[in-house]
Amino acid sequence: MNPHAYAELGAGLAMGLGAIGPGIGLGILIGKALESIARQPEVASDIRTNMFIGIGVTEAVALYAFVVALILVFVAK
Amino acid sequence: MKKGLKWVWLVVVLVALAGLFLLPGGAKETVNVAGEFELTPIVKLPAFGPVDLSINKAVIYLWLATTVIVIMAIVIARNLKPQPGRFQAAVEGLYGLARDGIARSVMKSGVDTWFPYIGAVFFFVLINNIIGLIPLPLGEHHQLSFYTATANLYVTVTLALFTFVFTHYAGINRYGVRNYVSSWMPTGAPPVLKQFIFVIHAVSEIFRLVSLSVRLFANMVAGHAILAVFFAMALIFQSYLIAVALQGASVLIYLFEIFVAVIQAFIFAILSAVYIGGALDSGH
Repeated sequence: MNPHAYAELGAGLAMGLGAIGPGIGLGILIGKALESIARQPEVASDIRTNMFIGIGVTEAVALYAFVVALILVFVAK
Repeated sequence: MKKGLKWVWLVVVLVALAGLFLLPGGAKETVNVAGEFELTPIVKLPAFGPVDLSINKAVIYLWLATTVIVIMAIVIARNLKPQPGRFQAAVEGLYGLARDGIARSVMKSGVDTWFPYIGAVFFFVLINNIIGLIPLPLGEHHQLSFYTATANLYVTVTLALFTFVFTHYAGINRYGVRNYVSSWMPTGAPPVLKQFIFVIHAVSEIFRLVSLSVRLFANMVAGHAILAVFFAMALIFQSYLIAVALQGASVLIYLFEIFVAVIQAFIFAILSAVYIGGALDSGH
C-alpha cells in the first residue's frame, strides 16, 4: 500500500467521524429552538437569530474536518 | 377503461426506463473536480515582489460582485418610489434584514456607527455567493463553469480580518487600551487566574478569526464540490437512466446551495455584529 493511500483513507475517516458530533449538536440545537418557539411564539425572532448564531458555531466543527480532509488529499501528497 | 389506460402508461414508462438503463452512455471522460478551484492567470501581470498581481477568475468574480452591488445601489437610490416595485421591495427586504434582523437585534449600542460595515459585508458576501451559482465562461478554454470568490481562503481571511480589526478598534476607541484589555479579565479574581483567563481569551480571539474565515470558505468549497460531483457523475456512470435521475438531484442540490449562500452571508454578518457588539459592551 503506498503512503498516499493512507492519507486518502485518513481523509475519509476525518470527514466521516468529524460529521458525527456536529450532526448530533445541530439536531439538539434546532430541536430545542423549535421547542422553545412552540412554547413562546412571541419571542420567535429572537430565538431564531440566536439559533442561527449557534448553527454557525456548531457547523464550523464539521468544516474543520472538511478542511483537514482537503489538506490530507491535496497537500499531504 | 381509464384504469386500463393507466396500466398501459405505466408499462410504457417502465419499458422506456429499462431502455434508458440498457442504452450505453456517451464517451468516457475523466473528471477533475479539484481543477474547478485551481486559479490560472487570465491576464499575466508582473509580480510585485512576492505579491503576484495577475488577474485570475477569482479577481474577475470579485470585480463582478462589486460592480453588481454598486449598480444595484445606484439604481435603487435614484428611483426610490413610495410604492416599491418588485426589485425595490426585494432590496428593501434585504436591507431591512441586515439592519433589523442582524445589527439591531444583536448589538446593544453603536448600531448607527457599525451598521454600514455590517450591511456592506452582508451584501458583499451575499452577492458573491449568488454570483458563484451562475455559470460564467471563465473555466478552462472559456467553457461555462462555477466558481465563487468566497471559495478562496485569501478572500475570506481578508473579510474576517476586517471584522477582527474593527472589533478591537471599536473596543479600544470606546474604552481606551488599558480598560479594554482589562475588560477581558474578570474583576476581583486572583492574579494567576487573571493571567490564565487573559491567555484563554487571547487564543479565542485568534480562533474567532480562523473560524469566521474557514466557515465561509469551507461551506462554499463543499457546496461547489458537491455540485461538480453531481454534474460529473453522469460522465462517470455512463448510463442514461442515472444521468436522468441525477439531473433531478442536481436541481435539488442547486436549490439547497442557494439557501446555503444566503445563510452563510447572514451568519458572517451576524457573527461580525456579535463580535463588534461584544467588544463595545464588554466593560460592564
